Amino acid sequence: MGDRTIPLQARRLTKTFGNRTVLCGLDLAVAEGQSIALTGSNGAGKTTLLRCLAGLVRPTDGQVLWLGQPAAAKPSTRRLVGMAAHETLLYPSLSPRENLVFAARMHGMPRPAERAEELIAGAGLLVHADRPCGRLSRGMRQKVAVLRALVHDPPIVLLDEPFSGVDAEGTAWLMRVLEDLRARGRAICFATHDYQAAAALADRVLHLRAGKLEEIDLAGALPAPAPARAQAA
Amino acid sequence: MLARLWWIVHKDLTCEWRTRRAWPAMLLLGLVVAMVFSLGTDLPADQKRQVLGSLLWLAIFFAGMIAMDRSFAAEREEGCWDGLVLYPVSPAAIYLAKLAANALALAALEAVIIPVFAVLAGVSLAGSPWALVLVAVLGNLGIAALGTLVSALGAGLRHGAATLTVLALPLATPVVIAAAEATRLASEGSLDASWARWVQLLAAFAVIFVTAGAVLFEYVIEE
Repeated sequence: MGDRTIPLQARRLTKTFGNRTVLCGLDLAVAEGQSIALTGSNGAGKTTLLRCLAGLVRPTDGQVLWLGQPAAAKPSTRRLVGMAAHETLLYPSLSPRENLVFAARMHGMPRPAERAEELIAGAGLLVHADRPCGRLSRGMRQKVAVLRALVHDPPIVLLDEPFSGVDAEGTAWLMRVLEDLRARGRAICFATHDYQAAAALADRVLHLRAGKLEEIDLAGALPAPAPARAQAA
Repeated sequence: MLARLWWIVHKDLTCEWRTRRAWPAMLLLGLVVAMVFSLGTDLPADQKRQVLGSLLWLAIFFAGMIAMDRSFAAEREEGCWDGLVLYPVSPAAIYLAKLAANALALAALEAVIIPVFAVLAGVSLAGSPWALVLVAVLGNLGIAALGTLVSALGAGLRHGAATLTVLALPLATPVVIAAAEATRLASEGSLDASWARWVQLLAAFAVIFVTAGAVLFEYVIEE
């Protein structure tokens, strides 16, 4: 058993695929109301780390704890986590409303239709609520994917590149959502390539390299402006 | 748990109704086999009756595999399978829900092709309809239980459909043989001890495959 006051912990987490070690004995703790941004190059293992934290992938060694309990030890503990993955996890032939109602029902929410309506209205998607998700733009699908992860208001929120494919208005909405979650004490961990979003939203920025996490100074996380072409020449 | 199980089945049926990706192909294959059986074999009526059960159940098996493979392929789209696993539902419940949806697909197939086979073979089903229904239900359950487990296994593989059939056929052979023999005896009106033994075998396989599926599904879906 771990510390029940810490929503999300990873201890000596290791994940190997064949001979390739993706995560190498890393430790991580996300406190209530804390937001952590994971950065790293493509293939560094950010998605694998988030999938381990979500209980979707069993670690080769080490453990993940949700509120001090081993992750996904019982199906009922999955209520503690909401995840928006790189793929949307949405059924393309179902509308945003149907996808959210289905998710709310699966989480045992008391009034699934009302909950879906509330989330859709909050995201400004009422006009598109009954169109099949497969016909929505990437940005709209991404919004619905985030709503699906939050439908049961979980204490732990994991987001894999939530800003990808989202326009400026969608980015602003998503930033408001993440700030609200942080204000309400949710533990947030999100993977991103967007250093500005990481600096704006995260309490800590952790860079994944060679299976290890390295803390990045928030001020230093912003990439230096590119030199002017004339200067470079 | 029962409510969640029902909502997964409801979701599967809604998605299938809108996309029509599995059932039409399954029904088409069943009807093509029935037509080939009728038009392509020049056998006397009594010999057609002898091979009716075998061809019928092979058609149900292969057509059912198409439906089951496609139902899991649809679940892999947009990572929906991960979404399903992330819900607070036991793997056994997910298995039973997928099994129920697949069994309904097979039941729809049987409702169409059993009468078609009977008409084309010149066999009357009116003599012992309850016996045929019992055989259809138990055969359906055995094939759907095995197919659901194996298609979940094959869904993560590049050649999932081929893997599914190669893995499922040897395991399903006893079910296909027992269902074929029980169907033949029922169509001949011979509901004797021999028929009862084939039905008992079908029931035993249905229980074994459903139990094994519910227990093993957790390991099959694990990455």
